[in-house]
Amino acid sequence: MTAVVSTSRPSIASLEAPRLAHYLAVGLIAGAIIALQIAVMRVFAVGSWSHFGSLVVSLAMLGFSLSSVVIFAGKDWFDRHWQGAATGALLLIGPLAVGTNLIAQTVPFNAIFLVSDPAQKWRLLANFLLYLLPFLAGAFFLGIVFLKSRTAFGRVYFADLTGSGLAGLVVLGSLYLFAPETIIVVPLLLWAAGSILWFIAFGAWKSVVAGVVVAALSIAGYLMLPGWLGISDIAVSQYKGVAYARNFPDGKRIYRSVSPFGDLQVYASSYMHFAPGLSDNAAFGMPEVPANTYVGMYRDGDGPEGIMRNLAPAEQVYFRFLPMHYPYVIKDKPKTFVVQFGGGISTQAALNAGSTSVTVAESNPMTLRAFRDPILRDVTGDILAEPRLKVIDYDGRLFLANTAERYDVIDLSLADSVGLSNPGGFAISEKYAYTHEAMLSYMHALADGGVLSITLWNKEEPPKSVLKLYSTIAEAAKTFDPKGAANDIFAVSSYLSTTTVLFKRGGFTEAEIKTLREYTKSMSWEEVYYPGMAYDGAGAQKVLDDYRASIFGSGQDATLTQPAADTTAPADPTAPNGACDPTAPADPTLDACAGAGGDAGPQVLPATEMQRMTWHALLTGGWQKLASDYVFDTRALSNDQPYFAAYVKVADLPRTLDRLDLFQDDWGYLLIWATLGIACITAASLVLLPVLFGWRIVFSRSRGKLGTILYFACLGLGYIMVEVGLISRFTVALANPTVSASVLISSMLVFSGLGSLFAERIFDRARTLLPVVLLAVCVLLLAYGFYLSPVLDWIGAYPYAIRLLLCFLLVSPPAFLMGMPMATAMTWLARLGKEHLFVWAWGINGCFSVIGSAAVPIVATSFGLSAVLQWSAIAYLIAIPAFFAVLLPSKAPSIRLVPA
Amino acid sequence: MKRRDFLTLSAGAAAFSILPATVRAALPVPYDRNAEIPFKDKKSFIDWMVANRGEDPKFLAERFDRFQIMVYNKDVLDDRNKRAFLATPREEFVLQQNLGRAYDHAFLDIGYGVTISGPHLVGRMTTAIDVQFGEAVLEVGTGSGYQSAYLANLTDKVHTIEIINPLAQRTRRTYDALIDRGYSVFGSVTSRNADGYYGWESVGPFDKIIVTCGIDHIPPSLLQQLKPNGVMVIPVGPPGAQHVLKVIKQQLADSTFNIVRSDIYNGKVVPFVPFTKLEGDQIVGTHNG
Repeated sequence: MTAVVSTSRPSIASLEAPRLAHYLAVGLIAGAIIALQIAVMRVFAVGSWSHFGSLVVSLAMLGFSLSSVVIFAGKDWFDRHWQGAATGALLLIGPLAVGTNLIAQTVPFNAIFLVSDPAQKWRLLANFLLYLLPFLAGAFFLGIVFLKSRTAFGRVYFADLTGSGLAGLVVLGSLYLFAPETIIVVPLLLWAAGSILWFIAFGAWKSVVAGVVVAALSIAGYLMLPGWLGISDIAVSQYKGVAYARNFPDGKRIYRSVSPFGDLQVYASSYMHFAPGLSDNAAFGMPEVPANTYVGMYRDGDGPEGIMRNLAPAEQVYFRFLPMHYPYVIKDKPKTFVVQFGGGISTQAALNAGSTSVTVAESNPMTLRAFRDPILRDVTGDILAEPRLKVIDYDGRLFLANTAERYDVIDLSLADSVGLSNPGGFAISEKYAYTHEAMLSYMHALADGGVLSITLWNKEEPPKSVLKLYSTIAEAAKTFDPKGAANDIFAVSSYLSTTTVLFKRGGFTEAEIKTLREYTKSMSWEEVYYPGMAYDGAGAQKVLDDYRASIFGSGQDATLTQPAADTTAPADPTAPNGACDPTAPADPTLDACAGAGGDAGPQVLPATEMQRMTWHALLTGGWQKLASDYVFDTRALSNDQPYFAAYVKVADLPRTLDRLDLFQDDWGYLLIWATLGIACITAASLVLLPVLFGWRIVFSRSRGKLGTILYFACLGLGYIMVEVGLISRFTVALANPTVSASVLISSMLVFSGLGSLFAERIFDRARTLLPVVLLAVCVLLLAYGFYLSPVLDWIGAYPYAIRLLLCFLLVSPPAFLMGMPMATAMTWLARLGKEHLFVWAWGINGCFSVIGSAAVPIVATSFGLSAVLQWSAIAYLIAIPAFFAVLLPSKAPSIRLVPA
Repeated sequence: MKRRDFLTLSAGAAAFSILPATVRAALPVPYDRNAEIPFKDKKSFIDWMVANRGEDPKFLAERFDRFQIMVYNKDVLDDRNKRAFLATPREEFVLQQNLGRAYDHAFLDIGYGVTISGPHLVGRMTTAIDVQFGEAVLEVGTGSGYQSAYLANLTDKVHTIEIINPLAQRTRRTYDALIDRGYSVFGSVTSRNADGYYGWESVGPFDKIIVTCGIDHIPPSLLQQLKPNGVMVIPVGPPGAQHVLKVIKQQLADSTFNIVRSDIYNGKVVPFVPFTKLEGDQIVGTHNG
């Protein structure tokens, strides 16, 4: 690398007056780093589990903080050897990205074994360390560049942010062109272009040649090495849904499309069987189960969602045994709306039940495109061309919120058909279709006497998601019909299968209740609530206590505390027979229980009893106490807290630690706490490290140290929380988390970049103007927190391109202002000669960004998405007094630099 | 571990390790399904198993330790089930790299995206269906083969279906190798590679059915092939936190059927059972043991 130094022109030995080519190079490299983050997340989403991708990337971003510590410690060395160090770091980014990704594929880890297999956590750590390396190299390069261009910080920062932002859009577009197994080409190309431009800017021609060679080798290596070495380009977990389809002897991929909406694949196999919630009585009520009826649709390898073939007329009795048939039992020839098309089963059921028209919404354009593909048209009998069918190409919830049309049946059935049954837990994802606001939209869009029908998986024991669903529907029903809600609901469930809730506008008639009850009985489903249902709450408290003990009990003498043995407890209606204790050490045992009292099982299962108690309390009072006594969180979903996940109450979190295997379905949530913990520990050690390096000596001339740390911590936290929080919010309008993330990251960074460029104009009057800017950010964020929801609903009803544009613009005001505080403060640190603090501030900012990104889902699930923006607003408010500490002059005379 | 036990086991292991592989392979005496395997104390169990089955004392010791915890947690209740668990060499059904954890309270990877359930869950599920000798049992999802091997010690009619062909072949080879070594009991297991969704009509109906693969509904064919008042169990939920759904095909007075769903605890909420471990001869409730 010394050759590079010797060939650079003396006139640009420093970066105090960078040229356009430098800015472009910095922008491209920063863009490459953002692109690499998105690419790594895609690799994880397809190979294993997207949550771990976010975790790994988030921790890898600590590379920025780590590099700042090293640069801080060896500042003098870096000042002298900056060109060689920057060149080395730059040339390493590509090879490291390729090499570490390749090695990571040989040490895959498996989420489902994380608790049970000690080796898995080392594999996770290996993945983290591997993916850290390219980010570390990138962070070193950018850190050195910032160090050397501190007087031109605002502009370099502009290049950094804008480059990152635009790269986000480039990646979004390139997701149409590159499949996940080749997506890392995009960051590699950006890096190659950036590196070559960087060397050209210095006239370092030997380095240009080196750059071209290294880039070509990296890209070629990325594309060819897996094949040569026999390593998978992405090691897809054998536990991903799509892996099973590939293992079926006749499994065959019949369709694939890659896009920002995910990697959508459809497999055909005679081994695929779907019938979500099928009545057990189908075994005796149907002449024959239709065979070879489905193909399976997988998104990013998760699934399958069943796509049903066109059934022969004789086979169509099948629909009657599915829970989505419920509303049609009392609605003849209805005008129907299906909120989410998905794999199309609900739509088929609606058509089959004799709907005069079926309007169906699907917000994922790739799903519709797949169904219009000749192959799937052939499979489905071209369902989308059915004359009774009308397709809405955006969110059904938003359509219903904005339409004047009224429907006899509105169906939301298993819209997340795989979401709640995935092994290895499910992510903290927003379920806007199930919120209080969504329910109200559905209810308003019902014609008089119209029926809303919602079916959800009921596979949890103790029940979790279904109770959240019940409380959401009940609260919406009470808002919509304050006096008559108790007469508007009919609910059933099938143990460890599905639950269905019907809401009828105007209330059910006695005849309808009778019809529905008869249908329920004929299907062997359990009644959970109907108007006038008798209720005996004598055993309620016991069920609640038992459920708590089943999760958080001490486990001491576990079997002896069972209901049957507890003579002091009130009579337990759930106990079928006091003499029948399946755990009693007798032989034969369980068979005796099975036949006890001539009954094959208990009269009412605790889970069913719990559901009955829930509905009773929701509609007649006592819900608050029941919810607080129940072991899990049962709060209603709202647009502010649209989560089924995160069901562990915060106060119970410490008690989960010794029984993690019981919470395998909430690992997304628990992992975020783990990430936050790791990020906090790392941040604390980075803040404390200067002590090791001699805080007093190094900073002896710098005043306002603590205030400066606070200022940059607030900026780091505030900025990232807005960014990540808005990604969740904008999913409402953009209907897809990946697109939302790309648009948000891009628009935030681009407008912040412009803000940092504009900040040059206020540098000299920063003492008076920057507090105003910070206050304005605070006010804007508070306003967004309160008023964003209706605006996004409104945007969501426009065509997709307009939605993208409006979202982009909506982000611009706060993003522009949020670009100014960082650039202004960094420039002032440089002007005041606080060079160590300058490097340090960069690291603090990075650290707190990681903490902030981990904190967002926790704040959102606990306090709501508005709270995320409010907390950010507070961070910017605290930054106002802290800013004055930044402006404190050094004790020793400083060199007054002329602003660039 | 007591010093005496340690010396006995060490001597046993040493003696065992110097035996040539071919000698170790065959059972010392013909396999007797009805043998009264001693299970009151560890030493007599190990001695008996070494003498009669020629198994590795190391795994026998682990099996007995796990057994004691399972008895404590009431994962196995009656003597037939207890002996069936103790007679089944789980170590033969796990992958080489997991041999050290064969008797852990954990499900283990066996390749192809399939796991072998933890011994406690297999014990509970098998106990729950209370298999009597001579009953026909169908297992859907052969996987490692351990569940059927356990069942073969309880009845002579075990049928098992595996959907993944290479796994079905591998497990068949495991059975055949064990049968060759003298585990004649596994001759009771008939296996095939097919789609278990449709059951096994030619050998049905079945008294008991165990389904060990994920599905979003109970396959109608399986309910049809279940005998009147027969019992089916299906684990539901993520591995490690599964609940076992119990389905009974109840025959009503008018000869029609009613399908009753419950869990294997017959409607009782079972308190959390902590990990337990042996400390000396004592079982102590602990966590993360």
